Amino acid sequence: MTSKIVVVGGGTGGTLTANLLASRLKNEINNGRVSLTLVSGSDQHFFQPSNLDIAFKGAKPSTYVRNQRSLLRREIAFINEPAKKIDLHNRKVVAGRDIQYDYLVIATGSVADPSLTPGLAEGSYNFHTTPSAAEEIWRALQRFEGGIVVVAIAGVPHKCPPAPTEAMFLLDDYFRKRGIRDRVELTFLTPYPHAYPAKPIAEVVEPLLEERNITVSTFFNVESVDPARKTINSAEGEEVKYDILIAVPPHRGAEVVLSSEIGDKDGWIPAEKHTMRVNGFDDAYALGDATNIPISKSGVVAHLQSGVVAHNIAGKILGVDGERRYNGRINCPLEVGGGRALFVSGSYSRQPQPMKPTRLRYLMKKSFARLYWLTLKGTLEPIFDIYLKEEERS
Amino acid sequence: MTQASRRVIDSRGSFCPGPLTDLFKAYREAKNGDVLELLATDPAAKSDVQAWARKTGNVVEEIVEEQGYVRIVVRVVAKSG
Repeated sequence: MTSKIVVVGGGTGGTLTANLLASRLKNEINNGRVSLTLVSGSDQHFFQPSNLDIAFKGAKPSTYVRNQRSLLRREIAFINEPAKKIDLHNRKVVAGRDIQYDYLVIATGSVADPSLTPGLAEGSYNFHTTPSAAEEIWRALQRFEGGIVVVAIAGVPHKCPPAPTEAMFLLDDYFRKRGIRDRVELTFLTPYPHAYPAKPIAEVVEPLLEERNITVSTFFNVESVDPARKTINSAEGEEVKYDILIAVPPHRGAEVVLSSEIGDKDGWIPAEKHTMRVNGFDDAYALGDATNIPISKSGVVAHLQSGVVAHNIAGKILGVDGERRYNGRINCPLEVGGGRALFVSGSYSRQPQPMKPTRLRYLMKKSFARLYWLTLKGTLEPIFDIYLKEEERS
Repeated sequence: MTQASRRVIDSRGSFCPGPLTDLFKAYREAKNGDVLELLATDPAAKSDVQAWARKTGNVVEEIVEEQGYVRIVVRVVAKSG
């Protein structure tokens, strides 16, 4: 009898999980004992962190896109259809047709949805929805001759916690290079008490923001945007004027999660934080942005969780190996402008520690954009496995 | 009239983006009178929640140091509408 594995989603988590499973179960797939299918509505795969470079440095989106099929090992059947329904009780995914599974991996990501805040879609730019939205920021900046630029976090959780703080530094760099920094007021609106959610990192970046004359307004909970008056309003009644508003839209889970009613109200799938097993099911896993696990929505999380889930599913099928557990390890680069960066590094039991921004760390961040495509194939797993070796302290 | 409810938010192990993210999510869905009980291992949680409550006008009713984590009880009173 064939064990059927279905992976839903073709982002970092889905692609890597499928490739790791294909590598580990190559013989079983080739002799028909295992089938492995990846379902994704998109036939393209985009390196999402590059949106910052597209928006604030004018990078070209075409540099950061690959054909999805080209990233998948040949043992994987690729169904290029959006999943319409996930039925956990009857073990099937509907994507053009019914696909039965024995093991399911849900890696459907998150959706940045400006429509969740009144006025946001009409009144703001963003670098979270699509590369072309990020390009619009670059075009708007080039036309801009002076005034108020506001970056606002309009909802939490959102992808890539460092990104809005990085945006402030990159905007400062951009206007300095153009020689018009003195004509631009830069303001950052955040719902958090600090310029970065994790306090030890905030203690590093706040003096740098101050040095660059960037205003940080904390505890600002975006309620609505008035595009006609060019104001952004908080739930507490504050009003801030802008000429250009760049917002991190509120995020939600994927449409298929919401319509299949397998997530919470916002579409985040409840899952166990060490094994990523969907609560109440031993044959379904959710990973990356798709879950309600209290960890950052970032590529490194999706990557490390993929390694754990692929290992554990393969182990079950092969009847070998102990179960691996995800330790909550994160390692997110945060660019502070001027060609320097630091890393936000921690785990479930280790909070991020202050780290000095350096040129070397910036170069490490830059080099990852090229290494990313290799990481999706599992080629660099020995390096990522080191992250998982960190013991969790109780 | 709907009854006030009590909700436990388990943010233990969350340092980035941190317990406040989970609290904000729950707060958005809460109504006045509801109680939100936040469990956190992040040492900044206590002062962050206190600062948030001061700013928004909500009430921190209780802070209890448990074994390896802190339990912060917030009563929602400042929601408009």
